[in-house]
Amino acid sequence: MSSALQFYMSTLLVYLGVSLIACWALNLQIGVTGVLNLGFIVFQALGAYTAAVLTLGPDTSNGGFQHYVFGAELPFPVPLLAAAGVGALASAGLGSIGLRRLRSDYQAMVFLVAAIIATDVATNVTGLVNGAAGLSLVPQPLSANVGLSPLDYQWFYVGLMAILCAVAFLLIRRLTLSPLGRSLRAVRDHEDAAEALGYNVYRLRLMVVVIGGALAAVSGAALVEFIGSWGPGSWFYQETFVYLAAVIIGGSGNNIGVALGALIVPVALNELPRFIPDFGGPGFVDAMRWVVIGVAILVFLYFRPQGIIPEKRNRFGLAGTVRHRWSGLATRARVRLGR
Amino acid sequence: MDRLVGAFGFGLVTASILAIAAVAFTLQFGITNILNLAFGEIMTLCAYIGYLLNAAGASVWLALVVGAVAGAVFSALLNRTIYALFVRRGTALWGMVIVTIAVALIMQNTLLGLAGPHNFTYTIPPATTFRFAGLILTSLQLEIIGVAIVAMLTLHMMLRYTRLGKAMRATASDPALAQSCGINASRVIDLVWIISGALCGIAGVTLVMNTVSFTASTGSDFLVVIIAAAIVGGVGAPYGAMLGALLVGVTSEVAAVYVNASLKNVFAFALLLVVLLIRPQGFIGRARVAKGVVT
Repeated sequence: MSSALQFYMSTLLVYLGVSLIACWALNLQIGVTGVLNLGFIVFQALGAYTAAVLTLGPDTSNGGFQHYVFGAELPFPVPLLAAAGVGALASAGLGSIGLRRLRSDYQAMVFLVAAIIATDVATNVTGLVNGAAGLSLVPQPLSANVGLSPLDYQWFYVGLMAILCAVAFLLIRRLTLSPLGRSLRAVRDHEDAAEALGYNVYRLRLMVVVIGGALAAVSGAALVEFIGSWGPGSWFYQETFVYLAAVIIGGSGNNIGVALGALIVPVALNELPRFIPDFGGPGFVDAMRWVVIGVAILVFLYFRPQGIIPEKRNRFGLAGTVRHRWSGLATRARVRLGR
Repeated sequence: MDRLVGAFGFGLVTASILAIAAVAFTLQFGITNILNLAFGEIMTLCAYIGYLLNAAGASVWLALVVGAVAGAVFSALLNRTIYALFVRRGTALWGMVIVTIAVALIMQNTLLGLAGPHNFTYTIPPATTFRFAGLILTSLQLEIIGVAIVAMLTLHMMLRYTRLGKAMRATASDPALAQSCGINASRVIDLVWIISGALCGIAGVTLVMNTVSFTASTGSDFLVVIIAAAIVGGVGAPYGAMLGALLVGVTSEVAAVYVNASLKNVFAFALLLVVLLIRPQGFIGRARVAKGVVT
């Protein structure tokens, strides 16, 4: 492979890793528990900003051309972990207000409005995270210590990303396969029945919002440490719908399906327009990309709501033990989004 | 003090436009049970149709009427061609939210792709300025307030005193029971989309009459305050939405003068959070409890 191609492929792999973590986290909320978190991108953004300001150092560094709060220069894994903590705290705060006594579609609206407002605040309060210009020149983690050539560093980061993805996958898998995962699906499939069986529906929802928020923050932190810049344009509220489309198309509720979705939607759909010639007016191709995402969501929700790889349905043996099996194509098209 | 009164005047204008939009939004939800997040995009579409007419030489008032008709036709078609299909398919409530969002994405970006990322401006003849009791409002702003009052009164009369209004209220509180009483629910739902769509169109055109220029995302930006007003007032309650619009409109305009104009939506959201904390059913909340919106 030529080094240019290697650069491109390794960058793409890092993006894939970010999408994987984000899609699994969103799937835990939407696919498994049925919490339609339309403000998901905010928590990714929060993680990215946290990691950025904790890596950049005080805002007098770099000639003081950026203005932000809480600047510090912490060694590598710390900004990532801090991002997870901030993501968890923020989602706990918003979740405890938005999830508490509202019906599921209202919860979705509160999250959506929160996402739009968060962009407003980050853009217009310039002292917070450098306003509309955003943060840049975030140093890459360990780049001074490992002493690799830029290309080797790319592959080093791909390795870091792979480790993060593996940890995220094991965590999510553990959650969804455990008895706790079954109670989450009970909340999704029949809220009232779950409540009647003694589950605290609000607490379970809040839990996945917090775990998902922390993971989203980690994905954002990993992204910003790699690309080095982050601004309001990176997390416009519509970006949530890219991950949402990935979850629906891949197979909501199924972590493998969602991984396929993460490959198809955020990676392929973002990269493909680079290879087709620009046509129409300025911004036409980009606008059409969003139209394609919207149409894909509608088509899948109507014709194949269970996604490409549907959720495995648990089968129970005689002793009441759970046997995991592919539901496969034989399962009648069950309306995944129906109760 | 003068600033406060002046800001209150702007707040009244914003609240008028917001009231038209929030009432229509809440009516759609209350009767059809669909949270239509493509509402803002329909507003933009109507504003754009109004712009095309206005650019061709028509007055803004003709644009307003055509915008209302376009909103009515488009909303009814949207329900018949897309939303109703998913409802029949048994898509759950939050699944419908995803459907309306997908429609919003498609509409906004189609408009963006076809019309381009420009600022579109209405040509409006210069208005005379009126001053009374510290309020400074242009004749156009007074006319916008007038349009809102007429629209709200008409809607009130219709809901209260006509058979259709009665049928609507019945369908809102219990669709199955309403149907078994001989109310043609699907006809009522069609009419709701037509009426709320017309209000949506009026809101879209008056919004731009007030701010003069707009882009492809103007409607979806405004949706934030619409949602805030609707939830503050108690979603599904038209009179609550009017009250919510007044509160949110005045709060955000006063904050715009005293704090920072670009942060006025943030104050609308803060108001929403406070209401969610202390009275999640909204100010007029019985309708929401009955529909299981709040537990």
